[in-house]
Amino acid sequence: MVFEDYLKGIYKSKGGIIRSFLKVDKGKITDITFSGDFFLLPEDAIDLITQRLIGTDTEKDSIRYVVEDVYKTEKILSPGTTPEDFTRSIMQAIGGT
Amino acid sequence: MEEYRCIDFGKVDIRNMMAMNEAIHRCDEGNTLFFWAPTKSIILGYFQKAEVELDLTQCEEYTIVRRTSGGGIAFSDDLDRQINYGVVGTIDEDKFPLDIVESYQQICGILIDTLKEYGLNAAFRPINDVTVDNKKISGNAMTRRDGKTLQHGTLLLDFDIKEMLRISNIPKEKIMDKQIKSIEQGMTWMDKELGRKEDMETVKRKIRKNFEKRFDVNLVDSDPSKKEEAMARELLPKYQSDEWTYKR
Repeated sequence: MVFEDYLKGIYKSKGGIIRSFLKVDKGKITDITFSGDFFLLPEDAIDLITQRLIGTDTEKDSIRYVVEDVYKTEKILSPGTTPEDFTRSIMQAIGGT
Repeated sequence: MEEYRCIDFGKVDIRNMMAMNEAIHRCDEGNTLFFWAPTKSIILGYFQKAEVELDLTQCEEYTIVRRTSGGGIAFSDDLDRQINYGVVGTIDEDKFPLDIVESYQQICGILIDTLKEYGLNAAFRPINDVTVDNKKISGNAMTRRDGKTLQHGTLLLDFDIKEMLRISNIPKEKIMDKQIKSIEQGMTWMDKELGRKEDMETVKRKIRKNFEKRFDVNLVDSDPSKKEEAMARELLPKYQSDEWTYKR
C-alpha cells in the first residue's frame, strides 16, 4: 500500500485531481505531499507549498492562508485549481470538511 | 513569411525525447513544431507520483518517465497509433498568448482544424482537451520558462483502454465491463470515428499544413541544433534517474 501510514485526501478540482498525503501530530502538519494531474506554474512552487504547510495548524483557515500566500509570492498560475481546492483535499485527509 | 522549424524525431526512447523536449524549450533556436513516436512508455505529469498513479508490478515492459509539465499520464501502448507533438513558442500575446487557456486553445486549434477536415465534430474543451462529440481524443500539457511556452500532446488514432486500466493503480476487481464502458463513453480515437485506419503520415501532413495556416508561417524541415543536442545529452541522466521519475 502506498503512503500506508499517511492520512489521505482527494479532491477533484476543475483543473485536475489533487491527492494529498499527510502526517499530523499535536494539531500540526508534520509531513505532506501531493499527487495528481493538475497544472501549476511554476511547477517547483509545489515544493514551497509543501514546505510552508509543514508546521501549519490543521485548521482550514490556516491551511488556506498558507497556500494563498505562496500563490501570491510565487505568482502561481494554475488554471482550474485554486488554493481553496488544495485546502479541500488536505481537509479531507484531516477529516474535517 | 516568418519561418518556424519542423522536426520529426521518428521513433524514440521516451527518456531521450523528454530530454530533447526540455532542451528545445531551454535553447533559443526559434519557434518549433516537432513530432515523435514513443516506444512503449508511460509519461507521468510533473505532479504525479508513479507509486500512486500506477500499478508498478504491471508496468515492467514500459519505460516510465516524468515530464516537466503538469497534467495526467500519457500512456503509449505498442499499437503505435498515436501522434505525439510538441510546440515551443515565444510568448507574444498573439500566437502564443500569456493566458494559459487561450494558449491551449490556439495550439489545440490546429488539431481541431485537422479533425474537422475529416468531417469530425471536433472542439476545444477547457482546460486542455480536444474532443469529438464531447469525447476526449487528445490530451495536452503546457509548461513555461524564460518567456517561452512548451505545449505537448497526443492525438489518438487507436487506443487500448484495457491495457491502460491494467497498468493503472485501481483495484483490479473494479475493472469490470461496466468501467470499461464508462471510459469508452468518455474517450475516442480517429480509427473508431472514421471506421478505417488513416495513414499517420497523412494526418501529420495535415497538422503541419493547418499549423502553417493558423500561425501564418512557413514550416521548414529541420534537425535539432548542435546546442540542443548537447543540452539533451546533458539532461538525459536526469530523465534516466529514479530520483527524477520516482520523486516523492
